Order: sequence, then C-alpha cells, then structure tokens
Amino acid sequence: MTGHILVVEDEEHLARGLKFNLEAEGYKTEVAGDGETALELLLKERAAFDLLVLDVMLPGKDGFAVATELRDANHYIPLLMLTARGRPEDVLKGFAAGADDYLPKPFDLNILLARIQSLLRRKEWSRVQESESGAAEEKRGEAPREFDVYAFADKQVDFATLELRAHGKMYRLTLMEAELLRHLIRNSGKVVSRKQILEEVWGLHEDTDTRAIDNFIVRLRKYLEKDPAKPQHVLTVRGVGYRFVPTPASGN
Amino acid sequence: MRITSRKKTIAFAVTLGVLVAAVALVLNISWIVLNWREVVPLVLGVLFFGFIIAGVILNTIFLVREVRRNEQQDSFLNAMTHELKTPITSIRLYLETLQQRQLDEAQRREFYQVMLDDTQRLMGTVEQVLRAARVTQKNAVLNKTEVDVGPLVQDAVELARLRHHLPGEAIAWELDGRPAERLTVAGDREELAAVLSNVLNNAVKYSPKEPRIRVEVVTPDLERVQIKVQDNGIGIPRGELKRVFKRFYRVMTPGSTQVKGSGLGLFIVRTITQRHGGRTWAESEGAGKGTTVTIELPRYQP
Repeated sequence: MTGHILVVEDEEHLARGLKFNLEAEGYKTEVAGDGETALELLLKERAAFDLLVLDVMLPGKDGFAVATELRDANHYIPLLMLTARGRPEDVLKGFAAGADDYLPKPFDLNILLARIQSLLRRKEWSRVQESESGAAEEKRGEAPREFDVYAFADKQVDFATLELRAHGKMYRLTLMEAELLRHLIRNSGKVVSRKQILEEVWGLHEDTDTRAIDNFIVRLRKYLEKDPAKPQHVLTVRGVGYRFVPTPASGN
Repeated sequence: MRITSRKKTIAFAVTLGVLVAAVALVLNISWIVLNWREVVPLVLGVLFFGFIIAGVILNTIFLVREVRRNEQQDSFLNAMTHELKTPITSIRLYLETLQQRQLDEAQRREFYQVMLDDTQRLMGTVEQVLRAARVTQKNAVLNKTEVDVGPLVQDAVELARLRHHLPGEAIAWELDGRPAERLTVAGDREELAAVLSNVLNNAVKYSPKEPRIRVEVVTPDLERVQIKVQDNGIGIPRGELKRVFKRFYRVMTPGSTQVKGSGLGLFIVRTITQRHGGRTWAESEGAGKGTTVTIELPRYQP
C-alpha cells in the first residue's frame, strides 16, 4: 500500500526508527520534530499527507494541542497518537482531542504497521464509496479530497486540462473559474459564502468587494446551466453566497 | 485540566479554613462579651477557642501543602514514565526491525549503536533516581578523600561536552588565580562529580541551541571554594530561585514549553553539597537572562 505519512516525534532515535520501517513498507515518510512544524506543514503549506503519526510529549505544543488545533481548523487527516502515556484518562483525552487511534509506547512494530495500514485502508474505502455514490451530500467530516475529473448530471469537468463538457459541448475554463468550481464541488450541498470563496479560492483576506465573484458565477452558469437565468446547479443563497447541487431534484 | 481542578481544591480548602476560623472567632468574641465578669469560664473559653482557630489554620496550611506535593509527584511520575519508556520503546523498535528485516552490515551496526545509546540513557535515568533515594538516607556513608577541584571540574566539563555533542567553546572554564596552588576539598569524588554533571546538564538543557556556559572556580577566602556555573539560558523567575532545589519541583513555564526532566537534579545537587558541609544557590536576573548556580564547599583541612 502506498501513502504519504508525517511522523511528529521529537525523540530522534524513535523518529529515525519509525521512518526506516515505514519506508521499508513502501510509505513515503517525513518527520517533524515538534508540533509547530507539523501544524505549519499541514495547515499553512497544506502539504498533502495521508496519515499523521503524532507523539504526545513534544517540546512546545503537545500532541493533544496539535490534534485539537488540526480538528478545529477542519483538517481531518487520519491521526494515530503514539505516546508513553497509557492510562485510561490519557487515552480518552487523546480521542477527545481528535485522534483516530491511540497506541501506547512501547508498541509492537507489527501492530503499529497494521494500525497504520488499517487507517489508510479506511481512508481509501471511504474515498471509493464516496465516488461510487456520486458526490455524497452527507460527506460532512470527510477531508476535502483532490480530484482531477469530476462528473455530475450529464457534465464532466477535467481539472487537469481545464476542460468542461456539458450539453455535448466543450468549454475551456480559466484557472480561476476551475478553482472556483472545484471549491463549490468540494462543498457540494453546503452554502459557501462569498467571503469564504474569496479567502479560500483567491487567498484574499482583505475586505475586497465580494461582488467580484458574481461575474465568475455568471460565467460558470453560462457553461453549466441549460438556462442561466434559472440555475439548477449553482444556486444563489440570498444574502450569503452560493450552493452547488450536483444532481438537482427533478421538477425544480 | 488536572491543574485547574487542583487549584479549585486549594481555593476551596483555603475558603473553608478562613470561614471556619472566622466563625470560631465570632463565637470567641461573643463568649468574651457574655462572660466578661466571670474569670474562670472566660479564660477557659478564650484558650479553647484559641486552640480551635490555631488548629483550623494549621490544618488548612497542611492540606494546601499536601495538595501541592501531590501535584509535584504527579508531574514527576509523568516525566519518569516518559524518561523510562522512551529508550525502551526505541530499543524494542530497533530489535524488532533487526529481527524482521533484511539489513546490510552498515545499517545493522548503526542500529546497534542507537540501542547502546538508549541503554546509556536508561542507565542515566535509573542512576539519577537511585542517587536521589540514596542521598536522602541519613546513615549513608560518604567516601571522603582529598579531591582536587581542578581535575574534577575539567572532567565534568569534558563529559558534558561529549554527552551533548558540544564544541569546545560552548563550555569555558577557568580556575581562580594561582594555578600552582592545589585547590582541594574533602569529599566523595563520585558524588561531587554527580553534582557538577547535574548542574552542567541543566545549564545545557535550559539554554538555547548554542549554549554559552562559563564554569569558574573561585576562592572567596581561605576556608571556602566556590564553583560557579553560569549559562545564557532561560533563567529562573525570582520567586522560584529557592524552590528549584526542592525534590520533584519544576518551574511551570507558561506557553506550555516544558523542558523534559525528572525534577531530581538540583535536589541531588543540594543534598550532596549539604552533606559535604557546603551550600548551593541559584541566581538569575530573571526570565531569559541566564542562571548562575554556585556550589560552595569547605576547603580540605589536613
């Protein structure tokens, strides 16, 4: 199985041993020496990892704090806590902070590897299931996944080539149009505010006029909707923003 | 979470103590007012209430102290768990790796070295705990001989450099004035070495990535020798300068940056020094301005 794993461990020997074993299993592995570095990697740089192995006793922010901060920031990477604290209250605290699994030290190497594999497998399974059931609307709590091709209704978007097929025609999207559409799709069924779009798609935090987005929406509708005046996919939520619906209820 | 609940316990105990003492005081005053003409009940009553009030106050003080001690032992237990389990975890991980994987000779050698370092670390922790237990035994015998301060300090400095992989200039040391004269103290060489190693370890541990540590041996008068270890580390707040020598005591740093350790080091330092008839103290300009720990020992009298 492949996967990209981030190990947060300040004890150099353990970090080295873990990296060696994970790499021997075929995982791409990186090590962060403290919680701040890990948060920086995951939240600021948005580095794509499939799994986080997190020690609790870290210099600076401890593992509990790191887990809480990640989950507060809506980062739902599978998280395995690995710690010397094995008392029931510590285990409970770990799960409360947002861990998916908790393994006390000293651990059995095979069990650690099996648990890592199981977490990655679970992630893979959820992904497969989700794409089978189309854009599952109840996918709340699932990490925003990256996709290259996305199909809905009778349309298909290829984010790699920036091509959109709809009503038997092919449109070329600009990069920003594609990013906006991707953001809407990622949040299928949910209301996305204009401000959120500005921040997450354009990376703007100032109080820019959020109406600028409306022009992009108009263009997307022209590509997607049979009748841009009566949109079926990109709906306006008055006063807030927009909502993307992949499969509109008939007769709407 | 646990700390706030402790704080609540302390606050509750203090409030209860104060309330009970106040009630007793009020009763006492009413008793005086009611009986002020009759000497015997008056004197007896005042004595009686005095006892109660004193008892309540003492009880509260003991309670608060006990809660604090409990807290320190808790953090000691946490630190110890970590210090003991980490090397064991590492050794186990490497052993399992060696057992299960095909490795080349160089890798195998590297892993053996890692495990050796881990056993060394484990041994250090165990020795520290045993030493802390030993130095508190009243009837423990000191193996006193005439110990040369110069080589003692030099050995300790070299050991610390080696242990923490530090360059020579990180720890500088000098002997006061007359190098021709032998500076000696009466003491147990091994114990004194443990004292210095503990102080130097602290100096490195609580300093930035590139520590600048100065060890100075001075003789304030003919009877005493002082070994001063000065670092450029995080320093100690004024209120904590004395407490850091207590067993299990660790300065709680806000911002959650906690340096790992057992809380035994300076306790060992102070206890051993005292048993040699000396004293130790710490000085610091405050947080972030470094610390100087001084170990004062009586000079050897033939």
